Amino acid sequence: MNTIVRVKDLVKKFPIGSTGFFTALKGIDLEFTEGEFTGLVGPSGSGKTTLLNIIGSLDVPSAGEVTVLSHSISTLTPKEAAQLRKEKLGFIFQNYNLLPVYTVYENVEFPLLLLNMSAEERKKRILETLEWVGLSDKINSRPSQLSGGECQRVAIARAMVKRPSLVLADEPTANLDSDNSHNVLQTMAKLNQELKTTFIFATHDEKVIGYLHRIIRLEDGKVFSDKTI
Amino acid sequence: MIKLFNASGMILAKTAIKSLLGNGLKTWLNVFVLSISFVLIIFMQGLLEGWSKQAVTDAVAWEIAGGQYWSQKYDPYDPFSLDSSAAVIPRSLMKEYNAHQIEPVLIASGSIYPDGRMIPVLMKGIRPDQNLLTMPTQSLKGDSTEIPAIIGAHMASQAGLKENDLVTLRWRDANGTFEAVDIRIASVFKTTVPTTDNGIIWLPLENLQNMMSQPGKATMLIKDQELATQTLPGWKFMNQTELTKQTIALVRAKSIGMSIFYFIFLCLALIAIFDTQTLSIFRRQREIGTYVALGMTPRQVQNFFTLEGTMNALLAILLGSAYGLPFFIWFAANGITMPSDVSNFGLPIADKMYPLFTPKLIIGTVIFIFIITAVVSYLPARKISRMNPTEAIRGKVL
Repeated sequence: MNTIVRVKDLVKKFPIGSTGFFTALKGIDLEFTEGEFTGLVGPSGSGKTTLLNIIGSLDVPSAGEVTVLSHSISTLTPKEAAQLRKEKLGFIFQNYNLLPVYTVYENVEFPLLLLNMSAEERKKRILETLEWVGLSDKINSRPSQLSGGECQRVAIARAMVKRPSLVLADEPTANLDSDNSHNVLQTMAKLNQELKTTFIFATHDEKVIGYLHRIIRLEDGKVFSDKTI
Repeated sequence: MIKLFNASGMILAKTAIKSLLGNGLKTWLNVFVLSISFVLIIFMQGLLEGWSKQAVTDAVAWEIAGGQYWSQKYDPYDPFSLDSSAAVIPRSLMKEYNAHQIEPVLIASGSIYPDGRMIPVLMKGIRPDQNLLTMPTQSLKGDSTEIPAIIGAHMASQAGLKENDLVTLRWRDANGTFEAVDIRIASVFKTTVPTTDNGIIWLPLENLQNMMSQPGKATMLIKDQELATQTLPGWKFMNQTELTKQTIALVRAKSIGMSIFYFIFLCLALIAIFDTQTLSIFRRQREIGTYVALGMTPRQVQNFFTLEGTMNALLAILLGSAYGLPFFIWFAANGITMPSDVSNFGLPIADKMYPLFTPKLIIGTVIFIFIITAVVSYLPARKISRMNPTEAIRGKVL
């Protein structure tokens, strides 16, 4: 299997006040290969979201090296980082982060608009993706008309519609009830199996942990354990 | 901005509109106020342009025609040299003079005594059968024993004179001798050109030349529009542009004064947009973070929000056109009746003013509103490029 993410001696510090620092990640070494369904698991403040943000090129390391799909995150310009996210990465957030004035169709369409895809191709991709997540009958609904589970499935569709190499999901089930959580996780597991898309989760939800193939436990900014199931 | 929207520009512009409309009533209130500024600017400027055009057209029709030759000594701002500023009408112009292509005007100072009051006046002598100016000089052809005179309505009102009134006119001739005679007001004319009305008494040229002991002399020569301009020794030519310069400057000064009002109004609209943009960026941090996560650079998101704010101008122009166009068309066709008092201001204002909405005015205003709205939308959007996307995604930037 190809390594798609390599994390070496990663340190991330956040400034506190005018002189102090809080070290969120303290020398992380990890590798993620293609098709993984992996979770960064740990309590609040363990550094899992920080690590996910750096892998997602939304943040930069203070020290160490993070390589995502052969791109060194530290050396990317804002434009190159945006290009990487646009073409290769998908994001799923705890609060869904759907664009409220757009319909389901338009929310899912947005990443494809950024890729300048033709209207015909866009339509084909969107309908196909919405079918995967079981929302074909909701294409004209707005996020305010959907349940939490449906919103998260729209978010999954939005992340998956461009066929990314890597999907980063930050607490995707935190706002969902048990049934919806399982439903969403099954959808993601199915996509992982069928499309071989790599999923990395940041979570402390036991329901998510039950679906993971690899569990990386983080504690106090360090890797506490790394188990493949 | 262009770079972001290279291939899917229309779609993203549509997205910006959708996002803007998503703000509901707040957007429409901003758009409505901006549209009023837009309509008001075009209407007021159209009114001033219409006024300017009317003032110039009327000045040409009533006193300028194709331009004027001024006697070298004539200075309209020097009352002391006025009576001695006349010169002999050049013999080289006799053909044009006889064909009424050149109309001499003799100007002298005097005073009238209506009801025992003394009012200083400018006496202007002109041939009664002239046809270069709109002035109703035919009335100067009278065959009564008194010298006929015509005056403007404003002058008549100031002096308390009406048609067929007799009034004593006193003047000093070229030799310095004071003379006086009773003149008859043959007619009172209405004009929009104050310089042919205020303090002016029009007399037959020959009579005035005799009164002033200046036969064959004139202070200025009015030229037919068709007649070519020539160099005349002892005379300087004043073309239409030079002669209407003051009128245009007056309208321009008025325009600047008025622009202060719509600047204030425009500021109110723009402050509302600025406020909405600032609030919008504060409220929509998650959305901003999401755009960045989806692959836009912070600069692109900033441009996207600027575009969205600028769309206020587009909506304002559409809304303003919807209610402003019928309004403009109606006023351009029917004019605006001015209150009778305005003729007393000494400004060249007609009874009805017809606004003039030129493409330059409309396109210029549209571009101006677009640019200024874009600037106002850009200022709060600059904050986006300084946002940390990871904080924005969680809505924790501010």
